[in-house]
Amino acid sequence: MTADAQFGWSGTIGEVTLGATKAEGGTRRISYRIGGGTTLPFMEKENSSLTPLIAFEVCDYPKTWSPIVRNYCGDLVNDLCAWTKTADTTYRADLIRLHLNSTRQRDFSDIPAVGKTVEGVLSASSLPLIIEGSNEPKIDSEVFQRCGESGQGERLLLGTAEASHYRSIAAAALAYNHSLIAQSPIDVNLAKQLNILLKEIGVTRDHIIIDPYTGALGYGFEYSYSAMERIRFAALKGDSDLAMPIICSAADSLNIKEVREADPAMQDAVAVSWEFYTGIAAAAAGAEIICVRHPKTIGMLRQAFASMKARPGPAGVE
Amino acid sequence: MMRGMIRMTDVELAKKRGEEHLKETLPAIRKSFAYEDTAYHLPISFALTGTSVHDLDTARDVFSKTGNNPIVASECLLAEKTATQGKENAPYTGFIGDTIIRKLGYSLVDGSILGLALVIGTPESPGAAAAICRELQEKYMLTFLAGPVISSLSDNGVKLGLEYRLIPLGSTPAYGIHFVDIIARVAMMFGGVTPGDASRLLAYATERAKAIVIVFPGLSDDEIALVDGMRVLGFPILSLGDYNGGAWLPADADTIVRKGMEEKGIRVNITAIPIPMGCSPAFEGKSIRKEEMYVEFGGGRSTAFELLRMLPAGEVTDGQVTVIGPEIDSMKEGSANPLGIVIDVAGKTMKKDYEPVLERRIHNFVNYGEGSWHVAQRDLIWVRLSKEAVAKGVRIEHLGKLLASKFRMDFPQLLDAVSVTLITDPVKVAEARAEAERIYEERDARIKGMRDNDVNTYYSCTLCQTFAPNHVCIITPERPALCGAISWLDGKIAYEISPSGANQPVEKGAVLNPQNGEFEGVNRFVRKASHGEIDRCSLYSVMEYPMTCCGCFEAIALMLPEVNGIMVVNREFKGLTPSGMSFSTLAGTIGGGAQTPGFAGISKNYILSDRFLQGEGGIERLVWMPSQLKDELKNRLVQKLADRGLKDLFDKIADETKATTIEELMVYLEKVGHPALVMKPLV
Repeated sequence: MTADAQFGWSGTIGEVTLGATKAEGGTRRISYRIGGGTTLPFMEKENSSLTPLIAFEVCDYPKTWSPIVRNYCGDLVNDLCAWTKTADTTYRADLIRLHLNSTRQRDFSDIPAVGKTVEGVLSASSLPLIIEGSNEPKIDSEVFQRCGESGQGERLLLGTAEASHYRSIAAAALAYNHSLIAQSPIDVNLAKQLNILLKEIGVTRDHIIIDPYTGALGYGFEYSYSAMERIRFAALKGDSDLAMPIICSAADSLNIKEVREADPAMQDAVAVSWEFYTGIAAAAAGAEIICVRHPKTIGMLRQAFASMKARPGPAGVE
Repeated sequence: MMRGMIRMTDVELAKKRGEEHLKETLPAIRKSFAYEDTAYHLPISFALTGTSVHDLDTARDVFSKTGNNPIVASECLLAEKTATQGKENAPYTGFIGDTIIRKLGYSLVDGSILGLALVIGTPESPGAAAAICRELQEKYMLTFLAGPVISSLSDNGVKLGLEYRLIPLGSTPAYGIHFVDIIARVAMMFGGVTPGDASRLLAYATERAKAIVIVFPGLSDDEIALVDGMRVLGFPILSLGDYNGGAWLPADADTIVRKGMEEKGIRVNITAIPIPMGCSPAFEGKSIRKEEMYVEFGGGRSTAFELLRMLPAGEVTDGQVTVIGPEIDSMKEGSANPLGIVIDVAGKTMKKDYEPVLERRIHNFVNYGEGSWHVAQRDLIWVRLSKEAVAKGVRIEHLGKLLASKFRMDFPQLLDAVSVTLITDPVKVAEARAEAERIYEERDARIKGMRDNDVNTYYSCTLCQTFAPNHVCIITPERPALCGAISWLDGKIAYEISPSGANQPVEKGAVLNPQNGEFEGVNRFVRKASHGEIDRCSLYSVMEYPMTCCGCFEAIALMLPEVNGIMVVNREFKGLTPSGMSFSTLAGTIGGGAQTPGFAGISKNYILSDRFLQGEGGIERLVWMPSQLKDELKNRLVQKLADRGLKDLFDKIADETKATTIEELMVYLEKVGHPALVMKPLV
């Protein structure tokens, strides 16, 4: 028995290209074309659409990073290039997401360092790159300009634009042909409104990825899930202002009470489980990119996606 | 400066001569030419026609294709000149490469530059240009310079260069062409303008490029033709002396920058309010009690009023605050004093209709002040200043500063200039109030007259979708939002101010059911905005396809089939109603964005509308309301009913003192002979 997964929908999720290979004017070894879905995830008749991508998050100021990850990765976190390289070759992520969290320090002003960091990460791994920049009006303009310039030709994904904070990111995306992440606080209408604002400033649909904001499982994820579902339903029903791929970062999962207070011997496992199940749920709701911070989550997600993708046999068997 | 000594140039004639001369000169091009570091060839020619111009033949081709455009001729001629004679030496930049343009475009999109200015020609005195350029710098404009103005500035000690936002293009005004090639490239890089799509380019330049041109004297005919050609791109050309005729705007040195920016709608954002008290919505809910109060105004204790009015642009000096009468230091602590708040606004998109809506914001803004408090409106206002604030140095004047700044900050698209006059002189307050009252009456007449049939567009409100995901309010002139907070005019203005916000225009389209107020366009909108959940919506009916309810309704109208009528209960009523349910039980039943036939969330004022219960046969259906709501509406409702020949209906509407159960209600209605009993059956 096969369920009809079309529901009379006519819309298609727009496609966004991440990364550029040599032939496309960049230096990445692969580029991804995400989106294009016509129904809910894991329900396609043809097994054609892309499995959700897994992005591994690294940062340039590990001091404020999750202690769970710092413990697991050890000294590696202090060498961004080595960490990035390991994420690519050993952890086997699909994408790297660089958090320039050094820019979140009080009175940060070393803009040239931002450019060097981006260049370093781009040469440490040839996977497509997501960059999470500053969030401070005083430096945003310079930081995003520098990110955009340093990654020119690489079709980066820049984050994170919010309704109160999008012009610099939009400018960098427009000037250097990158895509951007548009984040709204768990609300379908605000998501749409931001996309319209971005459209007005000149960013085209094929350069926008929606971040509906992801709470950790048990800490508001049900709201995120519902917002994602509604965004996807609206898109499939034909609302082109919401028909963009979705990115989710379950970063908060590593900081929740259950993880913090877990038996030290179990802490790592609890953290990974929490991140994994949040990630699975986000993928089920429609996310095309799942971001994780714990290396062990990557393999678990990949395996889960593969089994979710597999065509189920006749009912009752198995 | 002695004007008589200066030869006046007729722009119209000079332009014609210049265009003729450029046309004659163009064929003199011999060499081929190309700029370095650009993918856009000669950017203006390329953007307009899609042709890459590098020699005489292509130049001629593009020139004729563009109707002998003087800008195209100037671009080709300067490109050949640069190829022949080489680039000018520093500080002149000449043609600017794509890499830098990308950065400039970035700053424009990003908002760190507000707009672009070209300053061109020969200043009459060295100081004149310096002052204008300083003002442009202060207002976050990126300024390009061409001609003798550059040496005049550097002789005057003004620093030039990209880091100073003053870019010296070249030694003669002809280099001003680079200003246009920069905008053409920004349009292609950032604006999605494809080369050859001239109409897109012109639209982009006109609507998006915030550019102005300031012209000093001394331009040649060719240069006048070039500058005048820029008008097609929507750039205002402002001239200082020497020029008359044509469509250039004469201005004087002191106001030329402001005038140009106003003309092009470039606004400087205000971020800080210079007053000695905090100002934030966080303080809005805080009241100032008698013992905390230093002085008060109005509230029945003294004459007070507020008025916001629109004036022509020239008559409002932005940011000006005037106090007429005594300041706070000559007012006795604890006293009530007269106060008139008069706010004059001007703006290109401002309309007279918006006045009352903006005027209502005075209430919010005054309450944003940490030590200022405001209630009511018009000539009923009541304002207090706290002891604490006055001790910190807050004066009457600061109320004006707060209002002037907040209006500019919150309505940047609407208002270009705001000035505030605060009148504390008792005689002058009385005079000004008489004038204000005349204006209130005019406004009332205007809004009162507005009917649903007079407009083709209603407005939606989906603000509440954050918690009621499929709820859609449709707001019409005769039916305010169910929360009572947003009228049709508010919706219209909110849309104009924030076109992608929660209030969207709804074309009502074909009438499907005039009685119930069902419209094709409204249905279409509601279906989409409710994410496909609601297919039909009748605006004037409680029984059939009523509007959805969020949870904010001021009151609920619901059917009572036993008495063939409709009752209304407002949020403040705590008791049980004849339906057997309290307001809160009812609210829980119908809220959340659902459509519940027989129930509708409404605003209190809607009860006074001719459209109220139209689908059910009119207000004659109204059988019960809490006494408090009856009292609140009494004066207006009695009048309304009398106008409609239902003089005795008001007393026939029961309240909780007459009936608390459906049985009691039936007895009462029969006793008074309520018309609902004999109307067509509800169900």
